[in-house]
Amino acid sequence: MAEYFTARGLPVPLELRRNPLTDWRRLLAIAIVLIVLYIGLNITDINTGRANPAYAFNIIAQLFKWDFSIMTPRDEFETFRDTAWWKMIETIFLGVMATAFAIVVSLPLAFLGARNIMAGNPITQAIYVIVRVMFTIIRSIDVLIVVIVLLVIFGPGNAAGVFGLAFHNVGVLGKLYSEAIEGIDAGPLEAITATGANRLQVVWTAVLPQITNPFISFTIYRLDTNVRLAPILGLVGGGGIGTDLFQSIQLFHYGAAGLIIFMIVFTVATMDFVSAQIRKRLV
Amino acid sequence: MREGRRETGGLRCFRRLRPVPPIVSIKDLVKTYPSGTRALDGVSLDIERGEFVVLIGLSGSGKSTLLRCINRLVDPTLGTVIFDGIDVTAADRVAIRRVRRRIGMIFQQFNLVRRSSVFGNVLAGRLGYRSSWRTIASRPSSSDVAAAFENLGRVGIAQRAFSRADALSGGQQQRVGIARALMQKPELMLADEPVASLDPATSHSVMKYLEEINKKDGITVICSLHFLSLARRYGTRVVALKDGRIAFDGRPDAIDERRFKEIYGEDAEEVEIGPERTPPASANDAALRALAADAPDLDPGVGR
Repeated sequence: MAEYFTARGLPVPLELRRNPLTDWRRLLAIAIVLIVLYIGLNITDINTGRANPAYAFNIIAQLFKWDFSIMTPRDEFETFRDTAWWKMIETIFLGVMATAFAIVVSLPLAFLGARNIMAGNPITQAIYVIVRVMFTIIRSIDVLIVVIVLLVIFGPGNAAGVFGLAFHNVGVLGKLYSEAIEGIDAGPLEAITATGANRLQVVWTAVLPQITNPFISFTIYRLDTNVRLAPILGLVGGGGIGTDLFQSIQLFHYGAAGLIIFMIVFTVATMDFVSAQIRKRLV
Repeated sequence: MREGRRETGGLRCFRRLRPVPPIVSIKDLVKTYPSGTRALDGVSLDIERGEFVVLIGLSGSGKSTLLRCINRLVDPTLGTVIFDGIDVTAADRVAIRRVRRRIGMIFQQFNLVRRSSVFGNVLAGRLGYRSSWRTIASRPSSSDVAAAFENLGRVGIAQRAFSRADALSGGQQQRVGIARALMQKPELMLADEPVASLDPATSHSVMKYLEEINKKDGITVICSLHFLSLARRYGTRVVALKDGRIAFDGRPDAIDERRFKEIYGEDAEEVEIGPERTPPASANDAALRALAADAPDLDPGVGR
């Protein structure tokens, strides 16, 4: 390619003069990656010496010998509320309720966190920055950490799980909603402002119709994610079917654990499929 | 407001005796954007009631900024804008909304709420006169509903009232924009490149509606345009902007070759927008239908 320039007596562009195989930038990048991986191997000290393949295969086989006794009350003290299928339903609704609580909080906050709504006035711009920073901080705290903290307030159980999940989702949904509001077409806002409408009327008439579909889409996406997260909450004491899964493994009831894992996988896959179908139709 | 109305409505002989104050009086207007761009650099302009003022000038010459300073969608840096005796530049939030509702505005990109119905878009023109409660409860007054249909009928799209706004063609959307502005019962109409996104035939149809509201309703129109031919055809007065200053102000037919080069630069050549045409002849339509009989997927009525 360089011949085009040399034949005409033009200077050869810098990009062509570089040989990609010996370019020091590329070599440096490769060297850095290799060094990081080498240091990582040393620090983590991954030890596979205690692995017992024969035992592992035995356990995995047991996981597939599903123990259906957990699907019915096992003694006269248990009711259908203690069965695994009921716990699964309860877990799904943990996700649903967490989403609902998160929507209630994040929906009004999202408008305060949208740059185009809050522009034009130093006070509102400051609120915008505060709200967005808050969303980022909330989002950066993982669900399990929030649940562990909330155990101190609510004790182990569904309350800690639901509110922990909801708290994290305020950050996520708030950001998604705010960005949806920022992505709207500004033209109608200008036009409605020009008719002499006040700020609330502008938001109601020009903003809301533009954001309903993205809002529904994001909400379904988070609902899907929350139902996926809900079974894990039990591992740290957040209630739901995760508690049963954790207990069965601790008590070596691998048949029960295997069945619970299957139920979770089935539920999550179904949610995933349904939510994708709905969101596809919304766009 | 009353004062102004009475004077325009008065007999001609009185108007001669006592000059009518201009509807818009702009004095030494300067707008510097935060980026440092000086969009307006000392513009002074008086616009009389009933005029059809066409703003021309290159892109970036300050036409849009000037229009937006009049209803203060843009806050001017220096200078004053007086609308019917009210200092727009000094007005507080409530006062500015009262001024805005008397000034209609249409836009190059039509700026309709695309997902809402045509009807809802037109009703939005009344927002400045209605409480927030009515907006949230979506309960328009019966007089507003009647006015919405009347104005839609005026621009010839009452039949499409309940279509989604983005289902309409560009020309139709701009007519919805005009209907929305008419809902305000405006005394002044600002039009920011209203036909720049439209084809020549549709451009004339939209400009004719503006001409009609100017002549029949006596609404003053300030309209920015790209085509000098349109300015000559529809304007009663042409104001040219160049680099944020007024380069020409006078009758449309006073713009000759020399003035044109002054406004648009030495290299500019005047291009004509097509002459007014009647809508596509029906013979053409018949030919299309004949074609459609052979190839059903070409039928213009199919697939809509």
